[in-house]
Amino acid sequence: MTVTRVLITGMGGELGTRVAQLIEAKEWADDVVGVDFVPPRRRLRRAQFRRIDPREPDRMRAFVEEYAPHVVAHFGVYEPASRMTPASAHERTELCTQATLHGAASTGVLEYVVVRSGLEVYGPPSARISVPGEDVIPDPRTPYGRSLLDVEGAAKGLALRAGIPVGALRYAPVVGSHVPSPIGRLLRLPVVPVSALSDPPFSLLHPDDAAEAMVVAIERRIDGPCNIVGPGAATPWQAARLGGRVPMPVVPGGWGLAGRVAEIAGAAIAPHVVELLRHGCTGDGTRARERLGLTALAPTQQVLRELFDWADVVPIAMNRDVA
Amino acid sequence: MNRADAIEPLGQLEIERVSRAEPLLDALRRRCGGHYPIDPFGLDAQIADAVQPLFRAAIRVRVVGEQAVPKQGPALVVANRGVGAVEPIALGLAALQASGRRLRNVGAPRLPFVGAATRRLGAIAGSEHDVLAALHAGHIVGVPLAPSGLRIHAGDAPAALATALTHSPIVPAAVVPRGRVGALTGSWEVRFGSLVTLPDPYDPRDPLTAGRFADAMQDAVAALLASPTDS
Repeated sequence: MTVTRVLITGMGGELGTRVAQLIEAKEWADDVVGVDFVPPRRRLRRAQFRRIDPREPDRMRAFVEEYAPHVVAHFGVYEPASRMTPASAHERTELCTQATLHGAASTGVLEYVVVRSGLEVYGPPSARISVPGEDVIPDPRTPYGRSLLDVEGAAKGLALRAGIPVGALRYAPVVGSHVPSPIGRLLRLPVVPVSALSDPPFSLLHPDDAAEAMVVAIERRIDGPCNIVGPGAATPWQAARLGGRVPMPVVPGGWGLAGRVAEIAGAAIAPHVVELLRHGCTGDGTRARERLGLTALAPTQQVLRELFDWADVVPIAMNRDVA
Repeated sequence: MNRADAIEPLGQLEIERVSRAEPLLDALRRRCGGHYPIDPFGLDAQIADAVQPLFRAAIRVRVVGEQAVPKQGPALVVANRGVGAVEPIALGLAALQASGRRLRNVGAPRLPFVGAATRRLGAIAGSEHDVLAALHAGHIVGVPLAPSGLRIHAGDAPAALATALTHSPIVPAAVVPRGRVGALTGSWEVRFGSLVTLPDPYDPRDPLTAGRFADAMQDAVAALLASPTDS
């Protein structure tokens, strides 16, 4: 493999930074550059960072054209209620995607693109299809799901125009102690809103697995969509109890009020989170096992345990060095 | 104490295999703590294990040809069905007796609450996507042929699942009441037959292959139904 320049969008996020750390350790990556509107979360040894807000698409596109990447890892996909409002998340995702993909395609040296997507593109599980595989036609019902499908569509258009492989990693919700995630934040509230009429299964993904999947996808040039979902599942009631939280049943008309209360408590609930709590969110991860060799992803309940293992306040003694 | 210290491992509960019943207090403690496995199809291993003794008390099953049921790996068990809901339960008990594995019956009803309840016990949707996903996950899946009323015919293979049925070993099975009043007294016999195979190499995505498999399955189940009853 003769990859020379790798561009990582959304490098300022936890996942983007982890991917940058993994890629800069690879010999095939001669040069690694990331862009985002916030700086990386961890120390990077080789990778360079350029602070550009996707709301400046001309600047973003000019930078991408100048850098002329061979590989683009597109993590500039922002989840509503994660670090920003739903409107900002949608706007930044759209602008970042368009500027990056058009800029990279115009250089003529682009070899591969992999974009972050999510199981939210499938929409809520139905009575007929509860564990969708990649061949199920996406039918997103939430703004985030539609935003992800738009990203996939833009990438697919690029693949057709440029004649290159384009991968779309459909992640299960990524939850971890340091990942800003609306579902993770909600589950850590003392009282967790759950559906009074259903208790559907959902799957989660460990942040380390999400980062590794992206790197393996680049190395193997995975083409098309690929579900990245660990084994097993949990239900909202169960997840609340695993963390020692109190499940609060919510009837269908009460999610607006529940959302307001949760927002005041510090955990805004986006529509895709309500969809997960009411209808579940899982996927068939066979393709990731077979094509990416991801056979040891962390099970959902282990991801939950790590989430709850993260103490609210870390006690530090005054008279002892801790770092 | 850190909350994580209080979290126990899942213990002996498994998605694939049925476990022995726990003492009531332990079971309640596990339930309240959320320490039980759930699978993406909605199976709740603790609840499914808890109702097994009830099923066993209500339905007595005699198994013939139990060596045909694979002890591990994905497999399909294709069986006849009358008009009731008892056959899938009898088939599940027979598969458990034969292999120690939990049968995932296809055909969770598309009804609110009822559908969710049957999924809790291990049923999956009757769609090609979910059957394939269950096989990919390594489960043993029970597929009913079309209802045949008096249980003397094999019924047609489900056309919607035709392609999914070509991806793993198929074990034919016949579920019949023992004696003339077996269906009333809850006494059943489940006969497993040899694996259904095609003599030539085939492409699992080929609809023609699916049709040939469907015919072979139906014939195999019909042959098991026609074999003499040992009552």
